[in-house]
Amino acid sequence: MTTVVAQDRDRIAAEYLQLLEALRGELDKAMRAIANNALAQFEESIASQQILSARLVVLAEKLSPSLKAESATPPIPVNDDLMHRILIAGDSLQKLNRTYAALLHHSSRSTAAMVSLFASIRGQFQEASGPRLKYQTWSCQM
Amino acid sequence: MTRMGGLNASLLIGMQALDAAQGALTATSNNIANVNTPGYTREVAQFSENGENQTGDEVTGGGVTLDGLQSIRDELLNIQIQQQTSLQSSVNTQSSSLQQVQTFFTSSGNDLASALTAFSGGLAQLSANPGSTATQQSVLANGQNLASAFNTTAQGLTAAQSDADRQVPQTVTQINSLTQQIAQLNGQLSQVPAAESGGTTEDQLDQLVQQLSGLTGIAITQGTDGETITTANGTPLVIGGQSFNLQTSTGTNGFQQVLDSNGNNITSSIQGGTLGGAIGIRDQVIPGFLSQLNTLASQLGTAFNTAQAQGFDSNGNAGTNFFTIPTNTNDAAAGISVAISNPAQIAISSDGSADSNGNVANLSAALTNKLPSGQTPANAYADLVFQVGSATSNANTQSTAIGQNLTQLTNQQGAVSAVDVNEETTNLMRYQAAYEAASRIVSTIQVLDNAALNMGSSSSF
Repeated sequence: MTTVVAQDRDRIAAEYLQLLEALRGELDKAMRAIANNALAQFEESIASQQILSARLVVLAEKLSPSLKAESATPPIPVNDDLMHRILIAGDSLQKLNRTYAALLHHSSRSTAAMVSLFASIRGQFQEASGPRLKYQTWSCQM
Repeated sequence: MTRMGGLNASLLIGMQALDAAQGALTATSNNIANVNTPGYTREVAQFSENGENQTGDEVTGGGVTLDGLQSIRDELLNIQIQQQTSLQSSVNTQSSSLQQVQTFFTSSGNDLASALTAFSGGLAQLSANPGSTATQQSVLANGQNLASAFNTTAQGLTAAQSDADRQVPQTVTQINSLTQQIAQLNGQLSQVPAAESGGTTEDQLDQLVQQLSGLTGIAITQGTDGETITTANGTPLVIGGQSFNLQTSTGTNGFQQVLDSNGNNITSSIQGGTLGGAIGIRDQVIPGFLSQLNTLASQLGTAFNTAQAQGFDSNGNAGTNFFTIPTNTNDAAAGISVAISNPAQIAISSDGSADSNGNVANLSAALTNKLPSGQTPANAYADLVFQVGSATSNANTQSTAIGQNLTQLTNQQGAVSAVDVNEETTNLMRYQAAYEAASRIVSTIQVLDNAALNMGSSSSF
């Protein structure tokens, strides 16, 4: 029975590791999308990040007995090698997350600056008449 | 296999993204701040993908590098706009001048057609009352009015010609000013790295070139030192950072001639723009009208004088010239005048007797018979009026058509180069929403760090 539970925890841990790496890949993709001004790709990546992070939270709860108050039995450790890889992947993800957070912070401030600039001259626009083709003119790759 | 190598690559991508964002922010700030600036061309940041990073078996993306800011412009559209601008300026100059000319050919009571009709009418009355001094006086007055109408019409055409002539040195001065500014901007643009566009400097250059095309027809070629601009016949105006001033001097015909920087007369080869339009109306259109008017004045005056010579005046003397016509036909309309001052000098009689009206028919016939030109005076004048009206109408129609074409081209240029505020607004909102969602994920990932501590390991993240 203990073996079965241990195998089950290892399976969950393996999935957790896989999701950590996938999330790291998504952060990579999101930063590249921001730099490329690829808004649609950025939004797509955020959607994937939301799914991955939500699943990671669920798995983290399953893997953390301390979160379950009613549990009196000591936690069954995850396979050492797997745990080691999770720790490295987690560490890598946290570092990348800090860079991502800095980029988002900078970009959000840029957006706020643009909103302010936009608001300051709102009402002064004189849109040209006649047919105007729709071009992607938003060049603020924040 | 760890992913630490990949992490370093990711950190680098993050740093490059920050640089890229800064450049893009500059472009967007410019775009929005200049949304109402005439001639402003929107800018976008240009990025290039870096090479991939390989760590062991793992390959990760290399991020992007900001190459520079590029103005979005369509050179073909710009050239079309310049050509149409040049054409429209030329046509507008001619239209304006022709409208001035047309006032002298409209029926006003003092115009040539009215004077000719009144002169013929007076002769008809004279035929019925050859002995009436009042009628004779009326015919003399009508003849003076006819001569005066010729004079006024010729003066009107000459005045329009002089106005066009005055535009020549004024326009040349403006052209020289613009070419000097363009050469200066060319010099500045030659310092801009090849990967970047000149941004606002290039916008200014485009604006100046368009103004220049409104003044004269130009041809533009792109060289390594910037734009080379010549007149339509190849006279250099700007080569890279150097401009070549045009000059003017008074020609043998009394009109201002345009000379290139070497002193060669290029007047006849100037086409397009205000300068081309002014030269065209001065040297071709108005001289054509004047020539016909002079021919009519000369031939009509001569024919009437011939009829006068066939009769006798009220004193029984042989008829003398009714009109004085300048020897030079080119001055006929401006200089024609009535030669006699006494109504009794009108050669009414065909035989010298006081009660004869026999020569009035010859006098009347001089006004209705065909002239050497092949047309009757009335038809010759009607033809001239038609030509003036037709030229004016054509110029107006052309101006309208070119204006519509220019509007379409400018709209197209605007769609390519202008800042689309709606698009900017929509994307701004999408970015804000995306950043908010992304920030929540950042917090979630931070929480995962603590969660790992509870996974039954003595280690922590």
